[in-house]
Amino acid sequence: MQVGTAHSDPNPNHVYFNSRGIWATYVIFIFITHFIVLSIPFISMALAWTLTCQIHNVITYFWLHWEKGAPFEPLDQGESRTLTHWEQLDDGVQFTANKKFLLVVPIVIFLLTTFYTRYDQIHFLVNALSLVLLAIVPKLPQLYRVRIFGINKW
Amino acid sequence: MADNDHSEEPTPYIEAIVTYISYVLLAVFGHIRDFLRNKGFEANMIATEPDRTKSFVPLYQNFESFFTRNLYRRIRDCWNRPITTCPGAEFEVMDRDSPDYGWTFRYPGSTTRAVNFGSYNYLGFAESSGYCADAAVAATEMYGCGVGSSRTEVGSLNIHTQLERAMAEYLGTEDAIVFPMGFATNALNMAALVGKGCCILSDELNHSSLVLGSRLTGATIKIFKHNNPADLEAKLREAIVYGQARTRRPFTKILIVVEGVYSMEGSIVRLPEIIALKKRYQAYLYLDEAHSIGALGTSGRGVVDYYGCDPRDVDVLMGTFTKSFGGAGGYIAGSSRLVRHVRQSSHSAIYGASMPAPVAAQILTALNILLGRAGPPDEGKRRLRQLSVNAQYMRARLHQLGLIVYGDRDSPVVPFMIFMPGKVAAFARLSLAHGLGIVVVGYPATPIIEARARICLSAAHSLDMIDRSVQVIDKLSRLLRIRYSRRQPPDWTRDRTRAWAEAQLAEFSRPLAPTHVASSANGVALIGA
Repeated sequence: MQVGTAHSDPNPNHVYFNSRGIWATYVIFIFITHFIVLSIPFISMALAWTLTCQIHNVITYFWLHWEKGAPFEPLDQGESRTLTHWEQLDDGVQFTANKKFLLVVPIVIFLLTTFYTRYDQIHFLVNALSLVLLAIVPKLPQLYRVRIFGINKW
Repeated sequence: MADNDHSEEPTPYIEAIVTYISYVLLAVFGHIRDFLRNKGFEANMIATEPDRTKSFVPLYQNFESFFTRNLYRRIRDCWNRPITTCPGAEFEVMDRDSPDYGWTFRYPGSTTRAVNFGSYNYLGFAESSGYCADAAVAATEMYGCGVGSSRTEVGSLNIHTQLERAMAEYLGTEDAIVFPMGFATNALNMAALVGKGCCILSDELNHSSLVLGSRLTGATIKIFKHNNPADLEAKLREAIVYGQARTRRPFTKILIVVEGVYSMEGSIVRLPEIIALKKRYQAYLYLDEAHSIGALGTSGRGVVDYYGCDPRDVDVLMGTFTKSFGGAGGYIAGSSRLVRHVRQSSHSAIYGASMPAPVAAQILTALNILLGRAGPPDEGKRRLRQLSVNAQYMRARLHQLGLIVYGDRDSPVVPFMIFMPGKVAAFARLSLAHGLGIVVVGYPATPIIEARARICLSAAHSLDMIDRSVQVIDKLSRLLRIRYSRRQPPDWTRDRTRAWAEAQLAEFSRPLAPTHVASSANGVALIGA
């Protein structure tokens, strides 16, 4: 829908994460999720934090590493149709500020969660697994454009 | 021109966060509605694959139309509005409503009269009667509507030669060549000027015709920050020092591509600084004056005239006739060597049909009126002054309302910020209901936190129209709370009052000729609604 656009970058997904206040919005969304989970009365503190960590990892996994392409038709003639959002950010350049930020946030949430669950074994296992498999491994530069077993290739 | 040395007010922090939250909310609801439609809980009005092809590899990605389906479709009555009259100072917009939230439209047959702030009608030549229209009719009677051939075959009319000579004289260059389509002038002719092994330094916000033209050349494209001579210098030095990628050979040519007035920002290019840079580093300059020819400068000769620069310093002067001249098509002007080369190697000139005669006649008459050679005495000067006064007056009033207004003081394009998608749609609908035809633009055509409404001033607008419109915008901006500016209005806005505007126009004491608006009955009958 880039009608009348005056852009040299064919895909706005490359640059929008550099906009003002978007990091803060991301953190605000995490807070909102956490408060919603905390306000459910019969959930204990440990379970609330684990739930926040899990919900965050699952939603960001689908947002960054599962959905491919862009929600609009970019002007790049289909180049980004097979790329996940993570691969589109910053036009594929690795180690940018955005990517470091998005890598650090789930780690921080995990550390807080281990603290608030008082290092319970099962909670730790569940959170660590989801952190590593859903949040860290897909963000590694070694897995840029890699599709394991061809899952999610097209 | 110290008034060009300001930076645009950035999006306020809280409004940016609210805008992101709005888009996320819209996306969440979009996913929910898509789910309901796919599972059959809601009527599915989207084109879907028939059963026999369901097992094939999908032709289109469903996700690609997510934005169109769930965001754009819901507010698409704000765009593509059909009009039934000539797009002069005012026009008649066909009324339409959508009983199913944007899937289909119903046309009751009535129209709304609105002030036209959407057309690029800078000098008011979009008229269906008057000197230009008479000349176009005479040309049609003499040459017919079409040309039936390309310039290199039998499609060169004497009217084309007259127009080219007139444009070259007007711009102060040695020669010029005209093309029937403005977009194609950029897209198809850049390949004749640069090729592989050259470097193009293109402004970040260049129009898509320039982007397409640059890509078609095969040259290396580097992008510099919008209207930022310091960044341009850094990129120039980098291009010269490091040369081509991998081989490090020097580039054969470096071409700097800029526009005169940027139509989404309203900013005027910093031409003197860029010319100084190009001379220092021996690069070439391509200036696209689509929105500035006829609209800037004391005699309307564009941004070169506005700054008082020498037209010979700009290697390729390109522009279009769509905006200020009320015609269609584009031109390239420069040294006679350049134009001769373009004549012989331009795809558009060799293979494309040439400009139709009535269009050429319209442009030629408009040009003659501007130069004072036709029409009522001083008509050209009057239009130029009216445009300049209208632009500054409107811009000053909007600044004083407290809106965030982008662009430079003299530019006839006045965009002001709205930010949130809901407010963008509300403003578009409310302003039409109150009789203003204002174009709004949002993501992804603009950056995500810079959705805006854009006003294009015209010499056909009267000061009363502007006053009435500002009153409406005052009311709407208070209702929608879009007065986000945290800065004081710029100093120059203080003396741009109605009295100042009238004083500037006093010497042209003749009252404005009303723009002839054809009756809506004719328009509706033609469309058959």
